[in-house]
Amino acid sequence: MKICVLIKQVPDKDSPLVISDNNLSVSNDNITWVSNESDNYALEEALLLKEAHGGEVVACTLGGKSSIQVLKDAMAKGADRSIFISDSYFDTLDVLSISKIFASALQNENFDLIMSGLQSDDHGSSQLGILLAELMNMSHASLVMGTKIIDDKTIKVKRELEGGWFQWTTLSLPASISIQSGINIPRYATLKGIMMVKNKTVDELNKESMPRLDLSAQVSLKNMSIPEKSKETVFIDGSPDEIVEKLVNVLNNEIKIMR
Amino acid sequence: MTEKDRQKLEVDVLFVGAGSASLAGALHLKRISKNANLDISIAIIEKAREIGAHSLSGAIIDPRSLNELIPDYLDLDVPFEAKVSEENMYYLSSERAFRFPYIPKSMSHHGCYVASLGKFVRWLGNICESEGIDIFCGFSGSELLYDNETIIGVRTGDRGIDKNGKPKPNFDQGVDIHAKVTLLGEGARGSLSKTLIKHHDLMKNKNPQVWAIGVKELWQMPKDSVKPGYVAHTMGYPLGHDIFGGSFIYGMKNDILDIGLVVGLDYQNPRIDPHHELQLLKTHPWVRSLLKDGKMISYGAKSLPEGGYYSLPKLMVSGAMLIGDSAGFMNGQRLKGIHLAMKSGIEAAKTILSALQKNDFSESALSDFQKKVDNSWIKEELFKVRNFHQAFGMGLIPGMVNAGLGLITGGRGWGIINRLNSKHGHEHLRPLNTDSDFTKYTELSYDGKYLFDKVTNIYHSATSHNEDQVPHLHIQDTNICITRCTEEYGNPCENFCPADVYEMTGKGDARRLQINFSNCVHCKTCDIMDPYQIIDWLPPEGGDGPSWINL
Amino acid sequence: MKLFVFIQHEEGKINSVSLEALQGAHDIAEKSGGTISAITFNSKIVEQLSGYNLNEILVIENQQLENYNPLIYVKAMEDVLAATSQYILLLGHSYEARDWVPRLSARLDIPFISDCIGFKYDMGLTLVRSVYQGKFNEEISTDSGAFIVSFQSGAFKSDALKPGSASVRDISVDLTNVPNSIQPGEKFQELESSVDLSQADVIVAVGRGIGKEENLSMARELATALKAELASSRPVVDSGWLEPFHQVGSSGQNVSPKLYLALGISGAIQHVVGMNNSKNIVVINKDVNAPIFEIADYGIVGDIFEIVPKLIAAIQNS
Repeated sequence: MKICVLIKQVPDKDSPLVISDNNLSVSNDNITWVSNESDNYALEEALLLKEAHGGEVVACTLGGKSSIQVLKDAMAKGADRSIFISDSYFDTLDVLSISKIFASALQNENFDLIMSGLQSDDHGSSQLGILLAELMNMSHASLVMGTKIIDDKTIKVKRELEGGWFQWTTLSLPASISIQSGINIPRYATLKGIMMVKNKTVDELNKESMPRLDLSAQVSLKNMSIPEKSKETVFIDGSPDEIVEKLVNVLNNEIKIMR
Repeated sequence: MTEKDRQKLEVDVLFVGAGSASLAGALHLKRISKNANLDISIAIIEKAREIGAHSLSGAIIDPRSLNELIPDYLDLDVPFEAKVSEENMYYLSSERAFRFPYIPKSMSHHGCYVASLGKFVRWLGNICESEGIDIFCGFSGSELLYDNETIIGVRTGDRGIDKNGKPKPNFDQGVDIHAKVTLLGEGARGSLSKTLIKHHDLMKNKNPQVWAIGVKELWQMPKDSVKPGYVAHTMGYPLGHDIFGGSFIYGMKNDILDIGLVVGLDYQNPRIDPHHELQLLKTHPWVRSLLKDGKMISYGAKSLPEGGYYSLPKLMVSGAMLIGDSAGFMNGQRLKGIHLAMKSGIEAAKTILSALQKNDFSESALSDFQKKVDNSWIKEELFKVRNFHQAFGMGLIPGMVNAGLGLITGGRGWGIINRLNSKHGHEHLRPLNTDSDFTKYTELSYDGKYLFDKVTNIYHSATSHNEDQVPHLHIQDTNICITRCTEEYGNPCENFCPADVYEMTGKGDARRLQINFSNCVHCKTCDIMDPYQIIDWLPPEGGDGPSWINL
Repeated sequence: MKLFVFIQHEEGKINSVSLEALQGAHDIAEKSGGTISAITFNSKIVEQLSGYNLNEILVIENQQLENYNPLIYVKAMEDVLAATSQYILLLGHSYEARDWVPRLSARLDIPFISDCIGFKYDMGLTLVRSVYQGKFNEEISTDSGAFIVSFQSGAFKSDALKPGSASVRDISVDLTNVPNSIQPGEKFQELESSVDLSQADVIVAVGRGIGKEENLSMARELATALKAELASSRPVVDSGWLEPFHQVGSSGQNVSPKLYLALGISGAIQHVVGMNNSKNIVVINKDVNAPIFEIADYGIVGDIFEIVPKLIAAIQNS
């Protein structure tokens, strides 16, 4: 089983984030960088599949210089090697363009499975895995909560649907699946694993080293801002009975949740 | 998993804690051993998820050690905020600020740098890694490994144990790291250091160590309003004359103002709350004027060793040494310890090289470290201030008089006594006087703009712990908490902890101590100040705790 | 400007988020001019749709479209849109849309700007998205002639949809060569051992003010009456009264439901950061100074033990 895991480096949830002066990005100062949470689950799932069925797990990321850390962490946990795609040219591209870069980088690897986290904690487009499936002619499934290899051509995945419903979907390999957080319990990188990272390879790719890409990037970020919270609290008063009556009215007619 | 399965790692030299002492020591050792054609393996284990995440200080760094270790530090982009450009000392009354017209040279910070310790150790750590030193973050030192009375290494903490003590699916058993020599650079009141000192009676004939807690906030001020390199220290309000300590206010880059309060952990009134004292400081009109239109962005706390020269333990046993704040190499008068921590690491490295060359790691071989310390500027500097802290127990004025007399007599107590003794900080605590009304904090009103309650401050300390683990704070007898301690001291843990970890909840028979361990900022104040000395601070799961970037 | 709105169906009923997207289309059309065509893969909902103010309803009836299959959906939509070169395709950001629309985006090589919370129009359309876990908004625009937009649940209110009439047109699509590599199975429900609160529409949350574990039954009853999920602040979980997955806040789940009803919660910042993006926050707390009132849309200073039982009764009676 040859499995690729896409991992993104994102700011830690508790980092104090500040918009840069140009209003087009988040300042990199004072950020604790971490591997995206759902990507961690995807990595763990990939490692579990490798342990059960043999094969190779390759970690892959696209990002700035510091992103190489997510690859080191993945290899410390058991990924066999990594692919590091980095170029300042890629920094402001939209997700469709990014997916084309990944498709180009991974095209000759012939992965059976590409696994990614459902959504990244920064921009959260949650599209990459699915875009790749189309570009690389693979089957796909999103919101995956369980995996089961059937044979070397088939995988079944448990998908989460709205309202507490689920379904098992059968996919022909190769497949791209995006993994929901909570599917497993991610392992720790052991001391031994960290020491073994020195012996593992990281293939670095930039714009020059990749075949010419047709990136008709048409999406642009115009502005970033802090959401305005214009909140006027409406106080409901009176006797308890009066309060309840007014509140039910609000729930019915203003908030409209009881239909 | 059984003991048989336990993984082992062999290294030549192991450092516990990736702080300035260990990093300087490891780097120096790597270089001098290379020069001596010795290829040795050096490992550092660090309980934080990354280097610097648990590091907190003012700080003002004296570059003396850097000049020895990395003389071209400026060319290597050492991340100092600025050279100290302006120094001020103030005495604060409750309303006014009286500026000292003159600062004695021995207390001047001229030639030093305002810095963030977190940024500094991250920079230093990168240099260490680039020179082949293995730094393992997310691994706590949980147990000393012995062969008879010789330390042969450290066992790291288990990870993946649930709150009932049962292994989870991702259970990762602690590793036994065997080393010829282990250096404990865990910072103030290190947990392994505490055990080592106790077991080998390393404080025999020494003054007990006493500590202070430093509580600080970083403030983002309006553009161009903060002068990097600005330094101010104050005494007086809010601590008054009966509590050792004072505030520090430093100007950093990018309009960040660094404001903190050092509170000696040898005060008498069990109701004293260092966090509240910091909030009171910010009610002072002069301090408030410095914070106008600013936004608090970060909070943290850590203890620091104040005992000085006579509180240094015996520094070595067979197979192990104490360095940095774990030993207590801090100059309380200058309020600087980082350069001394680094120097202690550097001198330890020299001792270790000889030990490696002779393959002798016995206590007598390692006692060369004590000689090196005594022959270096460590002793020269610390000896001059060896009696600085001791007289403050009598009040601010006597303390200043003693300090002043020490200045002109090369450090003699009251100008004439070679060594002043002291007692444990927690022994200064006097039982609650239930008759008197303690109203110091009743006027504090948390507006969420300038003054913050503990819970809000904790949110800004970026602290998190895996909730599903056994609490890392061990109370030897919780019965004392709901009986004796309530009567005698009024449960001071609720006050001295800057992170709201300890909470007495419930009424009547249901009254109990609740430990909100996931708030813990690893300052060790509870371990230090608990009047019954029944609290043992042990490391939580590796990687847990604060995620400070530039405290 | 040609606006298409894909109307998702479930068991013959219109998915409410699609209707909200339709309102979004109307709001855009009001500023930009243009026509609105609804697209549906199920004729059962045409009658309801034709009551709304639309230019046209495009109905694609095909046996293979009866059950959701991303490859089938993508091919069907590809065929529908083949005749048009400049358009905006709008959808509600449902789980289903998340699964197939990116594939469509790559198939047609047009951008998909997903999970938008609103838009601005000033000589061109700019979409607004919430990023970094609700900390910031980003404004995105594209100069692509055709593109896809999905709107987050609650970005628009579907109850303001104007009635009207629309012509209906049948479109046939060729689904014969769609690969069989994705085969969704039967849907089933599971006894949840934990709940993903971030997907809940209504949440009833309790804090320290609930007092003791026994009082939770009152909160549970209210949650049942409102068809809501039960959540709490940290102290309730710490006391062992609720499992950790109920916890909302910085060390728990992040939620943004349509309604967050906070009972006896003071509003410590650790809790607030986990729920202050909720669309409507109703607070009941007897302490008028509780910080949580600062983020409340509706505040009641009162005793939850007096108000909640009456509230439950009133809801059950209505």
